[in-house]
Amino acid sequence: MSALKDLLGGLVTDVDALVTFSPSGSYYERARDATDEGDVDLIVVGAENTVGADAFVELPLEFAEVTERVRFGIEGALDNEYLSDGDDVACATAVFDDGVDTVSRVRVDKARHSGVYDLFVNSRADPAVIRDVLDVVIELGQKGQKGKPVGALFVVGDAGKVMNKSRPLSYNPFEKSHVHVGDPIVNVMLKEFSRLDGAFVISDSGKIVSAYRYLEGSAEGVDIPKGLGTRHMAAASITRDSSAIAVVLSESDGLVRAFKGGELVLELDPEAY
Amino acid sequence: MDVQTLVMRDVDYLFALGVLVVGLVAGYLVGRLNARLLRAAGVPAAVEGTSVERTARRFGTSIVALLARFSSLVIYVVAVVLALAITDLVDLRALWYRLVGYLPAVVFAAAVLVFGVLVGDKAEVVVSERLRGVKVPEIGVIPLVVKYGIVFVAVLVALGQLGVATLPLVIVFAAATLALIVFVAVAAKDLLASAAAGVYVLLNQPYGIGDRVRIGETSGIVQELDVFVTYIEDDGTEHAVPNAHVFEYGVVKER
Repeated sequence: MSALKDLLGGLVTDVDALVTFSPSGSYYERARDATDEGDVDLIVVGAENTVGADAFVELPLEFAEVTERVRFGIEGALDNEYLSDGDDVACATAVFDDGVDTVSRVRVDKARHSGVYDLFVNSRADPAVIRDVLDVVIELGQKGQKGKPVGALFVVGDAGKVMNKSRPLSYNPFEKSHVHVGDPIVNVMLKEFSRLDGAFVISDSGKIVSAYRYLEGSAEGVDIPKGLGTRHMAAASITRDSSAIAVVLSESDGLVRAFKGGELVLELDPEAY
Repeated sequence: MDVQTLVMRDVDYLFALGVLVVGLVAGYLVGRLNARLLRAAGVPAAVEGTSVERTARRFGTSIVALLARFSSLVIYVVAVVLALAITDLVDLRALWYRLVGYLPAVVFAAAVLVFGVLVGDKAEVVVSERLRGVKVPEIGVIPLVVKYGIVFVAVLVALGQLGVATLPLVIVFAAATLALIVFVAVAAKDLLASAAAGVYVLLNQPYGIGDRVRIGETSGIVQELDVFVTYIEDDGTEHAVPNAHVFEYGVVKER
């Protein structure tokens, strides 16, 4: 037994910080005592700071993928200066059940910054708006339109510039309306409108400005993984030409991808949510 | 026992029975007549879709039937009391005077209440239908405010009919409203001016997100519109222009 502890305990020896994801109250207290004893920083990542931790990173989306979750937590902690470059971190999180069942050891590396935290927190649009858009897109990806897979492209934030770098393909169904992405009716509405060609444009505060937009960002110098289609190219190029972000649902592989600054930042499988 | 008094008692009973029968028949007929009158006046169509009507429907009846039943009931009660008074079985004189004094007021109060609730419901339906074209999800509050305002007034009138002292209620209500209005007006003078302009801007959208505009001395691309403020961005500087300025200086759309 002790041999097993030695073998696996190596995961947490000499770490600089422990990152716990959505810990329960009792788990947090045990973690706090343990980290106090070992002079290790304790960082809590979760949807809400229910345990009242000092170092807290808000998780806007329950990432199903552990790597994304860990990456978000570490980049958030880095951004808030709870961690610094080169730290060794143990991440305790739940994969199968609600309780903590997985520990992974990660070295904080600024150079391998994926920008997923940046995407939510340091974009022009409100984090809540970006989360709402992702929720809508994930739901669209799960259910499709009338059971068939659909593609969709949402450009979020910096709407004035986006509107000036795009043109209408047809009449805008959202003209003179005041619909916001968080509204309860919106999921159904966007599902119906997702059969339209072109992009949805959403303002910083979440107002749906337009559908049916043809994006005219310049694709020159945009580098996205090969094999992604024109929709992704359009999304990447508009985010490079403005400070908007773009969320794309791929019609062919059903994945949700987010772009910022012309780069692919986040890739999610809607089926996992 | 005196023969004459015995006969008189019998006559009294007979008379009372007659009154009772006439009252019952009259009540029934008045109920029927009322139902027909209400139907002819188009009440069923007018109350269609109101929540009172829906509640009534759930119990297998309707507003018209309930109103007719109510008018019959009033007459039944009057007939029964009258009959009892004639037979002198119970000493009803005190009750009788009370009843005669009160009954019209009670009937009127009930009518006002029913009418008020109906009108309130109907107003809610009409206002929300009128507002359906305005695609703002939070607009649902306005019909409710209209409805409860009307119901509140109806309740006040009904209570007034019953002789309940409503004056303090009215005064408290008026004072609260006045205080609120004064407070809001003073505290939010500029906001109100902007909001009034903002409602126009949002509804008519003389300019939209993405347009290049000039309001007063600020010019740039519209990034965001809300009730109070228009956000205009120009080369990385973002101006929040109060919507009141839109009316003060006018908007220049630059192409």
